[in-house]
Amino acid sequence: MMTPVYILSASAISPQNTFDGDGIYETLITSDNLKLFVKEPDYRSYINPVAIRRMSRLIKRGISCGMKALSDAGIKTPDAIITGTGLGSMTDTERFLKDMIALREEALNPTFFIQSTYNSVNGWISLQTQSTGYNQTYVNRGLSTEMSLLDAQLFLQETSEAATVLVGTFDEMTDDYFVVKNKIDYWKKESIPSNEILKHNDTPGTIGGEGAAFFVLANRATKAIAILKGIKMLQQPTSEIIAQEAIQLLQEHGVTWDEIDVVIMGNSGDSRFESLYSNALDCLSANTSLLAFKHLTGEYPTATSFAIWLSIQLFNNQRIPKNTLLQQGTATHYRNILILNHYPLNTASVLLLQEPA
Amino acid sequence: MRDNIVITSAGIVSALGIGYKSNAEALKNGLSGLRQPQFLNTLHQDLLIGEVCLSNEDLADKLSISSTTVSYTRTGLLAMLAIEELLASLDIAALRKEKLAFINANTVGGMCSVEDMYLHFIADETQGDFVRYIDTLDCAASTKDVTTHFGLNPFTATISTACSSASNALIVGARMITQGLVDKAICGGCDALSRFTVNGFLSLKNVDREACKPFDEHRNGLNLGEGAAFLMLEKEADAIKRGTTILARFSGYNNTNDAYHPTAPSPDGAGALRAMTGALKKANLTTEAIGYINAHGTATINNDAAEGRAIEKLFGANVPFSSTKPFTGHTLAAAGAVEAIFSIMALNGNCIFPNLNYSTPMQELNIAPVTSLMTHQNIQHVLSNSFGFGGNNVSLIFSKA
Repeated sequence: MMTPVYILSASAISPQNTFDGDGIYETLITSDNLKLFVKEPDYRSYINPVAIRRMSRLIKRGISCGMKALSDAGIKTPDAIITGTGLGSMTDTERFLKDMIALREEALNPTFFIQSTYNSVNGWISLQTQSTGYNQTYVNRGLSTEMSLLDAQLFLQETSEAATVLVGTFDEMTDDYFVVKNKIDYWKKESIPSNEILKHNDTPGTIGGEGAAFFVLANRATKAIAILKGIKMLQQPTSEIIAQEAIQLLQEHGVTWDEIDVVIMGNSGDSRFESLYSNALDCLSANTSLLAFKHLTGEYPTATSFAIWLSIQLFNNQRIPKNTLLQQGTATHYRNILILNHYPLNTASVLLLQEPA
Repeated sequence: MRDNIVITSAGIVSALGIGYKSNAEALKNGLSGLRQPQFLNTLHQDLLIGEVCLSNEDLADKLSISSTTVSYTRTGLLAMLAIEELLASLDIAALRKEKLAFINANTVGGMCSVEDMYLHFIADETQGDFVRYIDTLDCAASTKDVTTHFGLNPFTATISTACSSASNALIVGARMITQGLVDKAICGGCDALSRFTVNGFLSLKNVDREACKPFDEHRNGLNLGEGAAFLMLEKEADAIKRGTTILARFSGYNNTNDAYHPTAPSPDGAGALRAMTGALKKANLTTEAIGYINAHGTATINNDAAEGRAIEKLFGANVPFSSTKPFTGHTLAAAGAVEAIFSIMALNGNCIFPNLNYSTPMQELNIAPVTSLMTHQNIQHVLSNSFGFGGNNVSLIFSKA
């Protein structure tokens, strides 16, 4: 069992107004083409103006999201930077690959190659913050967020001194990526508005999405906005396994099912995965409110990080965004939040977060 | 010490051959594995590369896999062959019941297959051989290949920090064992040559079309290679209890970031110096204790200048060093584990492998690499460097058990 770690700040760039603008309490941004792309903020205040001109959207998005999390936590140089991504910069990978084929392996632009490297966002943030400490990047499919957080816990536990880690996740969808994954049934075949996707859970597939989220984690409680109690990463999950792991996670941290105020679920309207959560949900009492988020973000490998960001909104504001609510519970104060998420490549995760005392 | 992490098994596939023994023999005999491409379908047929000498069909045959029914890429096949060697001395049934982690590392996933099919991927067609390769592009595809093929169900993670990836996998495995999350960890990395990677490095203009010359004044870039290498990590006390052979102690490591440039190291070697100093501190060793340095030594202008300066600053001319890249080419995500195994070979064989193709000292250095095999050395500790894009620098230290 891991020691809990403290979250000092959180930032998210998503298809909703999560980065700047009015947040997710008022406006709901939708699409009707089975794709949700992020709302690109103005990145110029976060990135070196000379460097920014050659950067692709994911690189800009990752760096900016990371710099904002650091600035919100009042930290200039974190002791470690750990990132997780399922796909890295698809735009750069596709561009270099297509150029290589079209130009017959001649006269290629190295920028796309460099930016397609999965740890390039991490490298840029290290450079901008002059962070020379531990530096790690996971490309771990649907568990990239979880592994990054677990590694941050390992790092923070190893040191007795006060330390901070910037943990970040990012993924992007491209038109090509949508076409490719459509061939193996990632997406719905029928056109459904994004805000209604959860209701259409009788057919396979969901909507494609993307996003970035960054968190500053620490091994001291000072100025914490949330506590990450524990993480379970599951391969080949079934409803029984998810429930078992959730039960064990709660036991490890001395939390009962009655004390769970909110469950944030990764159900996505895909008939193949709808039953994954049922056994765990059977454990809940009337106390718990049930929330979903993939109709706001679409499906992507690091979507769990959006659910963590959403949890922090609940702790901060003690109010549930109406667009996320599936079922209202009786709890009026939100202290313990359980996140249950899955990804189409046969993985799932369970996370327990708590409001700081 | 109770919490010492040791290495109890290893598996390796490189241009030098399949398996620990054939790699060690080639290193001792000074036989480079570089050659012109025989399997890589590139237009740059004149390039020297460190290609593994088996076709995909032969790799699949060796693993008793029917290559027509499954979607294993060359990356996955190389990884499986290295893991097969690592597992040969172990009781797999017992391993399945243990708390095991598999920490893999990779840079471009199954790009070696995907790049030949990509136009089909994005065209309108929905049927064809390409469909079963659609989920193979990401780095974790080979991780899944290994666990599926050997029927293992470990905790898995996949790292991608460019050329230092496998070294990082060893660090993460060691920390997971130390902190009690798992009892054993199989750590390493794999990469197959792809046109994507070859052309990427060509576009950066740091590829030597001839055999690379690490630490030479006239060095002109790197040769790319492919391979897979994995090491079994566990606590020394557990290994002793099992009565198994201990290949080496994994006594120190450090991961730091250069924070200097997206692809180039800090010219004064500050990043490399920090990585090596941190690993020595972790191992509680002084510079005098190190008997051999297996350098990153890619033979690019920038790396060798920075790394050479850092080695000279820290060790002076007192510690023999060499780069084994002219033997294997730069195997990228596998390099850290390939060279960890070479370091263990040096440790146990009391020998230092030569830095091939060196003739002219670098102007900015007062130190020179070892150029012919040195035997009967008393080596107690070996330091191995891996430095990657994004400023990701890692140094590892292996010690006699």
